[in-house]
Amino acid sequence: MSGAASALDWPAGPVLARDFAEWREAARRLIVRRVPPESIQWMQHAGDADLLSDVLADAGAANDAGAESAPHAAPALRVPRALMAMLECAACFRAIDRWAFLYRVLWRWQRGEQEVLSMADEDGARLQAMAKAVRREEHDMHAYLRFRERPEDKGAPRFVAWFEPAQDVLPQVAQHFVRRMGRISWMIATPDATVLWDGAQLHHAAALLRGPADIEDEGEALWLTYYRSIFNPARLNADLMHSHITTRFWRHLSEAAVVPEMVAQAATGARRTGQSKAVGRRSGTTIPVSAEQAQPEREQPRNLDECRRCELWQNATQAVAGQGPRHAKIMLVGEQPGDQEDLAGKPFVGPAGELLEWAMEQAGMDRRQVYITNAVKHFKWELRGKRRLHKTPAQREVLACHYWLQEELNQIGPGVVVALGSTALKSVLQDGGVNLKDYMDEPVQHEGRWVVATYHPAYALRVPDAQAREDARAAIVAALRTAWRLTQGGAA
Amino acid sequence: MELTDKLEILADAAKYDASCASSAAPKRSSEGKDGIGATNGMGICHSYTPDGRCVSLLKILLTNFCIYDCQYCVNRRTSNVPRARFSVQEVVKLTVDFYLRNYIEGLFLSSGIIQSADYTMEQLVAIARELREVHQFRGYIHLKTIPDADPALIEAAGRYADRLSVNIELPTQSSIERLAPEKSVHTIKLAMGAIRLKLDEKADEPKAPRFAPAGQSTQMIVGADASDDQRILSTAETLYGSYKLKRVYYSAFSPIPHSPKSVPLAPPPLLREHRLYQADFLLRGYGFQVSELLPQSGNLALDIDPKLAWALANRQHFPLDLNRADLAMIARVPGIGLLNAKRIVELRRMRRVRYADLSRLRCSMKKVAPFVITADYTPARDTTPSETLRRAMAERQQQLALWPELQAA
Ligand code: SF4
Repeated sequence: MSGAASALDWPAGPVLARDFAEWREAARRLIVRRVPPESIQWMQHAGDADLLSDVLADAGAANDAGAESAPHAAPALRVPRALMAMLECAACFRAIDRWAFLYRVLWRWQRGEQEVLSMADEDGARLQAMAKAVRREEHDMHAYLRFRERPEDKGAPRFVAWFEPAQDVLPQVAQHFVRRMGRISWMIATPDATVLWDGAQLHHAAALLRGPADIEDEGEALWLTYYRSIFNPARLNADLMHSHITTRFWRHLSEAAVVPEMVAQAATGARRTGQSKAVGRRSGTTIPVSAEQAQPEREQPRNLDECRRCELWQNATQAVAGQGPRHAKIMLVGEQPGDQEDLAGKPFVGPAGELLEWAMEQAGMDRRQVYITNAVKHFKWELRGKRRLHKTPAQREVLACHYWLQEELNQIGPGVVVALGSTALKSVLQDGGVNLKDYMDEPVQHEGRWVVATYHPAYALRVPDAQAREDARAAIVAALRTAWRLTQGGAA
Repeated sequence: MELTDKLEILADAAKYDASCASSAAPKRSSEGKDGIGATNGMGICHSYTPDGRCVSLLKILLTNFCIYDCQYCVNRRTSNVPRARFSVQEVVKLTVDFYLRNYIEGLFLSSGIIQSADYTMEQLVAIARELREVHQFRGYIHLKTIPDADPALIEAAGRYADRLSVNIELPTQSSIERLAPEKSVHTIKLAMGAIRLKLDEKADEPKAPRFAPAGQSTQMIVGADASDDQRILSTAETLYGSYKLKRVYYSAFSPIPHSPKSVPLAPPPLLREHRLYQADFLLRGYGFQVSELLPQSGNLALDIDPKLAWALANRQHFPLDLNRADLAMIARVPGIGLLNAKRIVELRRMRRVRYADLSRLRCSMKKVAPFVITADYTPARDTTPSETLRRAMAERQQQLALWPELQAA
């Protein structure tokens, strides 16, 4: 930076920044001229400068001059939006040197010192702390500001609040209440400024009130009733309460007045039962309803749903029974319900079900003559991240659940059973040692029925190799076609 | 009965429900519109009571008449408590009035079972409908769902409410059968399953009607039966996985007036509840599994937090080089939370991480020290036995915050 250039464009002297917009304009011009932080004196109020009024007048002139010539003369300043937002937020922090500090941050960032934004950097840590304090103040004002309702004949504003924010957050907080209150009018007064919402527009004004507005508001009594009653004396922990709301805010919260009494009551007895004294004093009543009458009328759970033959019921929503006509010619047996089936209570409703549907169509199978079920009736799964992933049932679970498959076989009496996948085949043949591949070529007779074996549709969805997927689909269609032919009296 | 009296009774009856959050609702605003109310997605606590819990919602029962006889519940039919019932209008009026004065973010409405599950659920839905349709209320609404109610009513509830919850209350089927004879794990799970199906449907089909945008949650009471923390957390894990719950709330059993013999007389330590929340946070936010936190049956340690307990039991992963480890592993270091883990990874894109950085990030140095390696620091490897570390880092037994998400983990 050449001293001559800076002397020309920017004579030394205070720079006035009454708000962030002014600071940003000034900072933009200073940065592109490479004026270092040490050589700028920032001023917050014009009035601060009584002693410096001469200097200020000069600076003001310089400000104006700069505004006209600078944007073209100097290279444009590019500041990422996130950084600008951060600076704007921190600018609401009430510190005498806020403008100088923000300028130093901007200056360092412009020189490539990106760590100026990191908590691990000294300036970065301060910047973040300032922004955090501002956000915190905003949050606290959202939370602890209380409106009192004025009598209707008083006209607008209908609601009035007094608040003493420790940082300059009134403008943004006003926006929050604009969103919250719709067309209802309100006013927020603070020691140095006032905002008023007339139901359609915000108006900003200087301080109008000197303290909290004293308005009789019946709503407040109801609120205290609620506050007292929602407290559980059995959990008394007043320190924790104070650690959440700083004393500064308690002063203006009406509930602060009843806290000592609540704490005292809790310490002397109410603690035992958790009930508030006011409620305990009232006379109570039991409800004269007999146990039988109280039992909700539930659909009689199917016996299957009460099955505890193995542990799988515990983590499942419900047992999923088979579906289909009572005397179906074909029974398709899958492995077990999946995530969707478990929720819906129906077999094959997920993606595998779609594939099966498609295969049946391809095979010319009449859906209305098919009964679809699973070898195991409860969903067995394990958690992967946030999802329930299918887990193959253990042989003992397959054996335990065979009981239900047998019931279905007895009731439906299909002539042909299609075992979809190895678990199904093991269950149908009641032999944990069988190998699916050995049974895929030809149907076999078992207990007086034809058993056709093929892949589980999920396999045809999952196997990574595209060709293998194609083959698996074709095999399933072929098996269904065979099964269908068998029911029509065709040969194996 | 006056409105104040009803409020007194029906708020007192609702205070055993731990749920309070008003977060996760989509952003809504009333700017330039008829009606009132906004949500900002984050939730706001408007006050705290001397039990350290926040007030963010008007949490009340529609009525504390109840024909069920759940032993842990103060409103059970055999309990001798004063009874009251709000009208639909009264709940609506209270909600709007409190909201306008900025006392609350919305309504959390629950109810005893009167007449039948369906009848009760209809009333709850009527209140939410009136708030949304007549008053155009855009604040937060959480409805406690009655599990046995008709699925059509649950669907209607989801149209008006931001969040639905079905409370499982106890972690095992046998406890539910014993302590809540009219309830059924089966219908509870079916209700949760039905809600999840609707949520999934909405997620896949954005044009489907609005349904509980802030998801579903549940509550488990801790210490009313003999279940240990492993059982409780496993049940929570199962519920998270099956029904995609947003939250499981844990509520330390509170002694109730005229307590029946079937439930304990004394409450469990509140610290146990706090540890469960911490562990739950590790399950949801940090990718921990219950089997890692509690490989065997039993309870979480009370003297140290679950993350520290895990690290002390798994010293083979430590000390961890903060300049090389991946984010998930850094977040597993005791004293470093998710946010700081991210900051560390960001910082090291610019330069090497040094020991002093950690204290500037306000990590708990006592906790961090034995578990990390930085550019300028290596702890004496494996020389301090875990037991010694544990004694050095154990917290004095004290009541702690019940809402871990409000604190840095
Ligand atoms: S999987 Fe089968 S055997 Fe096991 S509990 Fe469920 S229905 Fe019974």
